[in-house]
Amino acid sequence: MSVILTITFIFFIIFARFFYIQVVWGKDLVWRATDQWNREIPVIAERGVIYDRNGNLLAGNRTTYSVFVRPNAVEDAKYAAELMAGVLNLDSAEVEKKITSRNVSEITLARQVEKQKIEELAAYGISGIYYARDNTRVYPYGDLLCQVMGFTSSDGSGVAGIEKYYDSVLSGKNGEVMYTTDIVGVETEDSEIVYREAVAGNGVRLTIDLDIQLAAEDVIKSVYVSSGAKRASCVVIDPRDFSVLAMVNYPSYDLNEVPRDDTEILNAQTRNGIVSDIYEPGSTFKIITAAADLEEYIRGNKSAFSPSYIFNSSRTRSVGGTTIKCWSDHANGKHSAQTLAQALNNSCNPCFTDIALALGTDTFYDYLSAFGLGNVTGIDFSGEALGMLVPQSLVRDCDLARIGFGQTVAVTGIQLACAAAAAVNGGNYYEPHLLKGIVSSDGRTVEERQPVVRQRVISEEASHLLAQMLEGVVSDGSGKKAYIEGYKVGGKTGTAQKYEDGHIAAGKYVSSFVGFFPSDTPQYLALVIVDEPSGSYYGSTVAAPVAREIFSDIIAIKNIQPFG
Amino acid sequence: MKNLKSKMGRAGDIPLLICVFALTLFGCVMIYSASSYVGRVEYGDEFFFVKKQLIGVAFGTLAFAAVQFVPPEKLIKLKYPAVAVAAVTLILVFVPGIGVTNYGATRWIGFGSFTIQPSELAKYAFVIFAAAHFSKYADKVKTFTGILPVLIVGFLFCALIIAEPNMSITMCVGLLMLAMIFLSGTNLKTFALILTPFVLAIPVLIALEPYRLQRLSAFLDPWASPKDEGYQLIQSLYALGNGGLFGVGLFNSTQKYRFLPFAESDFIMSVMGEELGFVGITVFFLVCIFIIWRGFRIARSAPTKFTFLLSAGITLVYGIQVVINALVVSGTIPPTGLPLPLISSGNTSLVITLASMGVLYGISRAH
Repeated sequence: MSVILTITFIFFIIFARFFYIQVVWGKDLVWRATDQWNREIPVIAERGVIYDRNGNLLAGNRTTYSVFVRPNAVEDAKYAAELMAGVLNLDSAEVEKKITSRNVSEITLARQVEKQKIEELAAYGISGIYYARDNTRVYPYGDLLCQVMGFTSSDGSGVAGIEKYYDSVLSGKNGEVMYTTDIVGVETEDSEIVYREAVAGNGVRLTIDLDIQLAAEDVIKSVYVSSGAKRASCVVIDPRDFSVLAMVNYPSYDLNEVPRDDTEILNAQTRNGIVSDIYEPGSTFKIITAAADLEEYIRGNKSAFSPSYIFNSSRTRSVGGTTIKCWSDHANGKHSAQTLAQALNNSCNPCFTDIALALGTDTFYDYLSAFGLGNVTGIDFSGEALGMLVPQSLVRDCDLARIGFGQTVAVTGIQLACAAAAAVNGGNYYEPHLLKGIVSSDGRTVEERQPVVRQRVISEEASHLLAQMLEGVVSDGSGKKAYIEGYKVGGKTGTAQKYEDGHIAAGKYVSSFVGFFPSDTPQYLALVIVDEPSGSYYGSTVAAPVAREIFSDIIAIKNIQPFG
Repeated sequence: MKNLKSKMGRAGDIPLLICVFALTLFGCVMIYSASSYVGRVEYGDEFFFVKKQLIGVAFGTLAFAAVQFVPPEKLIKLKYPAVAVAAVTLILVFVPGIGVTNYGATRWIGFGSFTIQPSELAKYAFVIFAAAHFSKYADKVKTFTGILPVLIVGFLFCALIIAEPNMSITMCVGLLMLAMIFLSGTNLKTFALILTPFVLAIPVLIALEPYRLQRLSAFLDPWASPKDEGYQLIQSLYALGNGGLFGVGLFNSTQKYRFLPFAESDFIMSVMGEELGFVGITVFFLVCIFIIWRGFRIARSAPTKFTFLLSAGITLVYGIQVVINALVVSGTIPPTGLPLPLISSGNTSLVITLASMGVLYGISRAH
């Protein structure tokens, strides 16, 4: 009797224990075990594509494959290594070492392998090798817009330019193929394959106009060659909303063959100088000084000069113990008895010194700040430079005097283009941008970017006055070489000496020109910067003709009729 | 002659016979399920373990049949030879060249590719000895001196087995010793006197071999050392958990893909639990309980005190192994290596268990 009781009791415990494990605890145990039963292989999501504003493809993808190896599942490592090394152009000893390592369950042997090679490999039917979809970025236009586009790393994530800035939009969500395997990763005979589909990334539509970009690249390339410059660049924006229509930096590189191995070339050629590099603007800066004067005059500031005011004709100004000279010798009646319009035409430095000093540090700095100097424009691009502006609290009169005509100040190309655009577009400063919208992988528009007005910098009246004056610069003044009959081109030249180690570098100049048309309702604004041209170095002779060519091309591309 | 014939022809406990051989064949199916993958990957033959087991089934069946020709009472003569053979083979384990070491323990003796596990033999040798002794000195069982010879043999076996080391069979023999003494008809006072050193022995045994403490802690929280001590238990629990109420179906175990070590031997019950679920395991236990019940039923109506103790002892050896195996597999006690009788792969255990069941059947035919 006691024997029966004992046995019953013992088996009751056993039944209870098994019931608890199998029925009560079971789900949790299975959840814990799932990890050891399955191996996942990622399926790389298709990266979003990049379009220009009109839907032209600037960056697409070619489907390639990743090759994974589960060392434990490879039967003949030496044979497999030789085969794979042969097909994939790898070192056979290296591959063998990788696929015989026992402490990893899975290695990525190669990425972005072409389909035809995968088919070749698959035909051998080696066990333990797996393939998954991957992307290879394709840039149909090679070096077009290269510094803006940026590039992706070997794992497909954006590391520079738009590819980096909008990486989260473009990258999508990777999927997964799941196999059930034995303890060392050998696929089991009735391996279930669970497939989680990859979600393609969204596409990005840029404000860039492919046709204008192509034309601008051609023009910049030829000035780079003809002028023997170190670098040449330009940016074309729409002054109505500050969207970037073209952005060119030369020399450039082929996006399909990024010089990844040479850090120096990589750094030099992949840099988007228009946004990331600063230079002393020289006379193009006079647009801002003139804008400040006109606005103050209209507002009734007695210190400001009226458009009919005749400036002192002397070549020099003495400020704070230093002497400031005009670039011109003022001999033989040159630069005599000038109004503001004439001072712009002649690009006469002393007149702008007079304006800066007359307005005074506080007022003048208010305008500098409103025009975005010494601060980022906020363009959607990583690595934007701030520019250089003497802090208001430290600025001396002799500094202020020079800032008036664009010295003792450094700007980025995008800063100057935006400031000039705000000065002539009716007085509004917008946030410059490269993104026009986001589109889904099946082409629907997900998001459309709306223009963002940062602030009003000058009144419409002042802006129109200034635009007329700048039209005069092109029709009658130093900007003549940008003149196109019937298209009301306005603009301003700039020639600045370069500094090296704090001293003026002899013979090194930055020639630039900022132009726009039509001057009464500007639709296109271009800034051309030629860095260290050899031979002729004046903005009026080197940069102005470049702007003219770009505008002519735009006129042809857009079939714009002459204005009455 | 006529007498002998009629005696040979008399049927015994048929339900017991059916259950024993049903479990043996069921064991072959489970071994195939649990080992086909390992067999294919490691030996190039998915029937590798099943083929080995079938040899055991053949010899076991022969042994079962052979013992039918031996009247059970005659086994009393094996009292000393059985103890001698068991003791000698247990000692041979430690002789270099004869002893075979596997998984860090020397538990086998080998003649070429043929190995046997003497501790399997020792359990039954002890049962025969205890049964013979208690039946001969039935009047002395209430005294300590009357029990002493049984204790000496039991402790000798325990000492030799624990030195291998083989904790689980030591435990098995220890429990068997207690049970046999209890069944001998001794009084509670003497029984309590004997029980005390057993209880005291447990902490000593643990302190003797530190790895047991590790196993003990691993058993309390296997996830504290999932790659080492806790590994086997975790894998066993995963298998049982995966089985749930109704199981994943015969041959569909996931854990047999080399996750669960000893899936075809000591941990075959985990695979059963995974493939057949709690329901299947319950049915299996009911069959085991049925065998145990039939065993005790045979013992109760056994004609002599010797056959009573012999059949009860055989039943106990079977029952204790089933219980310990179930407790190990379910993580109720620390893991030890003990086969599930009639099911697990392993020929010594199978042949001897079938032979012992033959004796049990023989006793059922005797009355």
